Amino acid sequence: MTQVAALVATHLSDRRRSLLAWGLPLGLMSAFIVAIFPSVEDSIGKAVSDYPPALREAFGIGELANVEQYLQAEMLSLIVPLALGYLAVRAAVSGLAGAAESGRLDVLLSAPVSRQRLCAAGFLATAIELAAVLAISYLLTMLGSVLAGVGLAAGSALAGFASVWPLALLFAGLGIVACAWSLRTSVVTGAVAGVLVGMYVADLIGKLDPGFDWLRYASVFKYYGNAIEDGIEPIAFCGVTVAACALAALGAWLFDRRDLSA
Amino acid sequence: MSVPAIETEGLTKLYGSARGIEDVTFSVEPGEVFGFLGPNGAGKTTTIRALLDLHHPTGGSARLFGLDSRQDSVAIRARLGNLPGDFGFGRQASGREALRLLAKLRGVDGLGRAEALAERFHADLERPLGQLSRGNRQKVGLILATFHEPELLIFDEPTSGLDPLMQEEFLALVAEERARGCTVFVSSHDLDEVQRICDRVGIVKDGRLIAVERVAELLAKTQRRNLVEVEFAEPVELEDVCAMPGVVGAEFAHSNLEQVFLTYYSEEEGEA
Repeated sequence: MTQVAALVATHLSDRRRSLLAWGLPLGLMSAFIVAIFPSVEDSIGKAVSDYPPALREAFGIGELANVEQYLQAEMLSLIVPLALGYLAVRAAVSGLAGAAESGRLDVLLSAPVSRQRLCAAGFLATAIELAAVLAISYLLTMLGSVLAGVGLAAGSALAGFASVWPLALLFAGLGIVACAWSLRTSVVTGAVAGVLVGMYVADLIGKLDPGFDWLRYASVFKYYGNAIEDGIEPIAFCGVTVAACALAALGAWLFDRRDLSA
Repeated sequence: MSVPAIETEGLTKLYGSARGIEDVTFSVEPGEVFGFLGPNGAGKTTTIRALLDLHHPTGGSARLFGLDSRQDSVAIRARLGNLPGDFGFGRQASGREALRLLAKLRGVDGLGRAEALAERFHADLERPLGQLSRGNRQKVGLILATFHEPELLIFDEPTSGLDPLMQEEFLALVAEERARGCTVFVSSHDLDEVQRICDRVGIVKDGRLIAVERVAELLAKTQRRNLVEVEFAEPVELEDVCAMPGVVGAEFAHSNLEQVFLTYYSEEEGEA
């Protein structure tokens, strides 16, 4: 346990800049979106009401009658999940493929550390990093709401941001699986980022055309609802988290069976 | 009888159709300094990576301290120190941060010996490793490999990038480690260095081990065979000596391990 804690602490220390590099822009953008809601409320409401229902549902736009719905439509339906999914891949991959390329992996695995433990530490550190970035984004968003006096419901916003965590974590698990296939950062990150976008598009197509609804079962976005309005769906939240952990465990098992050289 | 520190039996690593190492068999006794010689691509690093379980053998076996390199890898690594051939630890981390992490992973309390080694090698532990020259990074790598006083040290090209003074310091460190009872396995291109510190050497060529002998015996054997030191009454030109019947080469240096190494290589080429 001491080894995992030491590896997690080092991983987070190495990536401390990324907490701000990702948390600040996402948080400030969300805060801006929330703050401008009163000034765009009427015009955007009318514009959106003219959209086809399927399109509104596909992008999770809804009615846009309140600031929570506006935050969901502008940030939590697309930008935050895709950004956090990509961050998750980068963070998980940096601990394995990135470490292999820098030579760090050889040094770490000269110490009495098992590869499974190394993978577990990378996954755990990524989970913490994602939670921290989401927390920063949430806090800045609430700050924007308070300063602009728009009355964003704290609990609803928290549910909205928190629901992104398991979704992003799934791509961290996929990143570890991909590191068992290649230890080149660019290859692994590109491949898993492609899966991330592919899943989003598959879910979108399934929502737009009922004939392609089956496509949504190939996408984790099917289980990413609208938590800011509906609250967190516990089964989906836990199910995706378990799936992410299962992927990380599979990745660690495969990683233990490969030769290590970048 | 003591258990060998390293023992391989037909160790083989093939990368698809490409050759890595083939049928490598040798053993290193506790307290011995063993040199592993060969040009680039001969299979030295592949052998080391197989010993450390970084690469999984496709045939044969390797045992360290009597433990299986695959099954008991973690237990083995608790007892050794390793300096990889191309040492790196990322650009941001400083040597001290790397040391703290390795100390925690190894369960070592205090960095007293690391501090002493840093002073001895004039290593900068505070600056990010990405800002250090190759030689200065190598010093940090040496400290990371040795600070916990392991039973076995594995060095892959340990002096590359070090200046001559630090190379001498490294050789002194190896002598001290041996005196402490540590086993040292060193892969190197620097034949003079290997000759000075090693008890025995293994010569690897095209992935196969072609000789394992004591350094002194290797030198003596080769000298008996075809190296003769001749003293002339008058100064001579090397070209004149080379022109004598049966002479294929001449130089002013004494017989050394480099000559032995080249002799083995030229013999193998001839047989091929």
